[in-house]
Order: sequence, then structure tokens, then C-alpha cells
Amino acid sequence: MQVLQTSREAATQKAAISVQGLTREYVTRNFFGGVSRTTMALSGIDFQVGYGELFGLIGPNGAGKTTTIKILTTLLTPTGGDAKILGLDVRKDLYEIRRRIGIVFGGERGLYNRVSAFDNLRYFSDLYGVDPAVARKRIPELLSVVGLTDRAQEKVEKYSRGMKQRLHIAKALVHDPELIFLDEPTIGLDPGGARDIRNMVRELKAQGKTILLTTHYMFEAEELCQRIAVISKGKIVALDTPSELKNMVRDISVIELRTYGATMEYVEALRRLPNVVRVVADLDSEQQSIRVQTPLGADLLPMVAAALPAGAKMIDRTIKEPTLEDAYLRLVEE
Amino acid sequence: MASMGSLTPGRQVEGRVNKIIQVLKASVFLTSRLFFADPQWLIPNIIAPFIFTMVAFFLFQGQTSGSAFLLYLVLGSGLMGMWGTTIYASANSIGFDRWNGTMESTLAAPVPLSWIALGRVLFNTLQGVLNAVFILVIGLVWFRVGFGLVNPPAFFLASVVTFISLSSFGLLMTTLLLLSRKGGFITNSMEIPVYIATGTMFPVILLPVVYLPFAFMLAPTWGIEAIRLAALPGYVGLPTTYWEDMVVMVLETFAYLGLAFFLFKRVEAYAKRMGTLEEY
Repeated sequence: MQVLQTSREAATQKAAISVQGLTREYVTRNFFGGVSRTTMALSGIDFQVGYGELFGLIGPNGAGKTTTIKILTTLLTPTGGDAKILGLDVRKDLYEIRRRIGIVFGGERGLYNRVSAFDNLRYFSDLYGVDPAVARKRIPELLSVVGLTDRAQEKVEKYSRGMKQRLHIAKALVHDPELIFLDEPTIGLDPGGARDIRNMVRELKAQGKTILLTTHYMFEAEELCQRIAVISKGKIVALDTPSELKNMVRDISVIELRTYGATMEYVEALRRLPNVVRVVADLDSEQQSIRVQTPLGADLLPMVAAALPAGAKMIDRTIKEPTLEDAYLRLVEE
Repeated sequence: MASMGSLTPGRQVEGRVNKIIQVLKASVFLTSRLFFADPQWLIPNIIAPFIFTMVAFFLFQGQTSGSAFLLYLVLGSGLMGMWGTTIYASANSIGFDRWNGTMESTLAAPVPLSWIALGRVLFNTLQGVLNAVFILVIGLVWFRVGFGLVNPPAFFLASVVTFISLSSFGLLMTTLLLLSRKGGFITNSMEIPVYIATGTMFPVILLPVVYLPFAFMLAPTWGIEAIRLAALPGYVGLPTTYWEDMVVMVLETFAYLGLAFFLFKRVEAYAKRMGTLEEY
């Protein structure tokens, strides 16, 4: 028991992020102060992130990703368990942790829109205690890295979503942190903007920064992360490399369909077919995209075609290897 | 980079003071940039004080007993403007972060939130001072109020300390906003009672006795008394001297600051426990 504890402590010291039995409960109180509802956002999660690692945290909305990030960045107090950042306790060493981490919030949050990018960076560099002489050199460098030099004096409210997100990254780097939290950094960006951000993340990784990334985009997690934790209903349901996670669904193949005129009834009909594990459909566009997970592979194709209602058209059908998204869907739906 | 632990105590204090100054400067600078970026600043700072002063002058026109009374009126209007701006802007400085989505970024900084809030409150109070100066200028130029102060240095000193006391009171009010978005309701509802209780428009001694303890707990009450004693010849207000007013104001200001910094710590910890910091 002693040996086990010692080895656990040693592992904790080696980890940039160490989370053990982390719990967070939200209590909603009624008008009279009594407890009306208790929600368990995190139910004792454990994981560790090594120095220089790019670690992904994925899960559906409300799974506990944001709560985890908030606790690790000292913005929220855990109700149970332990979390250490760079060997420091999230409950006790708030300011030391904050000095050494950077946070990139996704979406529109976190920037002062009525002032310029330069003013935003100068303000945050002062809050982080960056020596003004260092800041004078570093801010133009960062603006150049994120491609905002020409627009540095413009108000942020005039920026596109992608420009704001690049500024977010510059803001998170203004104090040269060792560890960076990226909370859905590409959310709402067009493909070009998202690619720019992913390239910046790769660059940061190459510089030796430790990164914790949360994302809704599975291909992004697969492309960037060395290891991924899948979180669902406040619990970590899997933690492994992207390829090992994909191996969890090696027993199935995916039939990818592109249809015209398919409706929800067709999707339901596919779900009722024998040996269909899961059907994921995007019916919002003119052409519908439907993914059918099945262990039968091509043998299911005749039944898939037969189920298509009159008036609907099959534009394309392909058999594919399961992706991280297929593994993810299995994990979060189990 | 040398850690604070390896420095001598003297250097540690110096480093901490420099850091506080850096944060205060940054906070004042950003608040001013945000303030001037919105053209609406003209309404509370130029248009409203102008209307305020005009109404006060026309109300008392013909009932004045000389220039001293007009100066009394101008000082009162100016202080009302200062207080109004302080309470409104201070209460909203943290509310603005909630609304703007910058609360998390602000809280994630490695400095106590009270330092950042203090910078904002200082700028907001300074804005109130400009408001008061504007009212004074209207009085001097438009209504030709004589500005013959009884004791100009004492007037200046009382004005500066009143400015600090208003800032400290604004900081105390800001803690309410940290607790909940509903804090704005409380701070906004304090505007008029404080006008009355601090004696901006009429001597506090005219208030019913039951209100006096509340009036005496407000540092601006003593500030206004000290300012009037230093400005107006033959002013009769509370049965206190200029220096007694100043001492009480300074003591109450320290009490506000101590309470504000204590509450900031407690409220921030409480809000983090409850998860209400970013709620709008």
C-alpha cells in the first residue's frame, strides 16, 4: 500500500496536470435557502497530463469539460478530490498557478471589444506582471505570430471571429506560460480560420508547451492530441491514444451515405435493420449525410438501399473504417 | 527569474508595491479607454450635470441670500454628481465584465480582483470629479457664482480626501456585484438615499434624528461638511470643526477599505464555491 502511494506521488510530481478523484457538485437553492436541486457535474475523475503533452478532453455538452477546465484554471473550487497543476494545488496556490498557465476561451468570451488588440494585450500583460520592457518587445512579436500586426490598433469589435480567436491565443501567451488550456478554440470558425488555429496549436506543442485542449470536433482531437480522455456525465469513460480509442470500434464498419430526399423515417428504418449498431444523420442540408455503424459491412448495403423510400435518391455510398467519432459515439452513448 | 522567496523583505515589499501600481495603472487605463470608446459618456458627465445644475438654480432663484448660497448649491450639485457617477459606474464595472464575457479572463489573472476593481473605481470616481468640476464651471460662468473660498488649501485637501472616501465606498459597493447580478439593484437603489443622507443639497442636521446614524456612517457626509467649512464663509452645519470632520472621514475611509478588501476575499471564494462568478 505504501509502495503504491509512493509511486502515485512520484507520478503526480512528474505530471504537469494531475487530477485524482475530482468531484464537483452544484447546489441550486430555493427562495428560502433550502436545497432544491443537486447536480453532480464531475463524479470523481482521474487523469494525468505529462510535461510537453498535448492532451484532449472531449465529451458532449454538459459532460463536465468546462467544469474540469474551470477547476484546473482555479476559477471554480472543487467539492472533492485533488488537482495539481505543475505540482501546485488548485485550492491553495491560485496565483502561482495563474502566473504559469494561459487560457484560451472559445467563442466571443474574454476580450474587451471596444478597445484595440494592442490595448487588450497590454492590459493583460500588466495584470500578469510582465515587465513593461519585456511586454513592449513581446506584444508586437505575438501580434505578428497571430497575423494581426496590421490591425493591431483597430477595435476588436471590428474583427472577424477568426481574428478574435487568434487574438485570444496571443493573449494567453502574453506572459509566456508553461501550460495552456484551450477551451474549444475553433468553435464557430470557418475551415480556414480553424486550420490557422490548429497550426498555431502545433507550433506551441513544438515549442514544448503542455496543452490541454477541449473540442467538439473529433477530427481535430485526432489530428492534434497525443492522448484523449472522453468524458460523459461527469465521468471519464475512456482515456487513450486516438488510435487505441479507434481500436475500440474495430469490430464495426461504417457505411457512409449521401442521399437526396431522405427523411427521419428513413433513419428510423435504418435503425430497425438487423445488426445496425448506430445511425448518425445530418438531415438539415439539401443533401443528407448518414453514417451507419454495423459489423456486417458491405453485406448490409442491399438492405440499406431497399429501405430508401420512394422519391428519395442515393447519391453515394461508401464503406469506411471507423473513426474517432464512431468510437466517441459508442463511448458516450453506452 | 528570481522567485520572491529569495529576495530580501525590503525588495519583496518593493516588488509587491510595484506590482500593485502596475495593476492599478492597467485597470485605470483600460477603464478610461472603455469609457471614452462609448459616446454615451457625454450623457452622465456633461448633459445630466448640466440639467441637474440648471434645475437646482432655477428652483432656488430669487431665494438666494448672496453668492455663498449659490456656491453651496454648486458644491452640493457637484458632490451629487460625483456620488452618482461613483455608485453607478463602480457598481457596473464588474457587472460590465459579466455582461461582456470578460469575467473569466479577469478572474484568471494572478492578482486579487480587489486590485483590479480598485483601479476601475478610482477612474470612475475621477470621472465623478470631472463631473463636479463641470458643474462648478457652469456655476461660475453661466450663473456668475463667486468662487471666493474661505481656505483654499483646506478646500483642496478636503476634496482630495473626499475623492478617496468616495472611491473606497464605491469599492465596498462593488463587492455586492461579485456576489450576484442582483447586487446591481442594491447599489442603484442607494443613489438617492445617499444624496439625502450625506447632505449634498441641504444640511444633514435637518434630517430626522433616526436618519442621522446612517448619515454619520457615510464618509462623504463628513467630506461635504469639511468642504463647505473650507469654502463657505460663516457656514453652519454639524457642530464639528473642519479637522474633526476630516478625522472621522479618514477613519471611516479606512474602515471601508478594510471591509472592502476583506469582503472581496470572502465573496470571491464564496462565488467560486457556488459557481456564480460568470453568471449574468
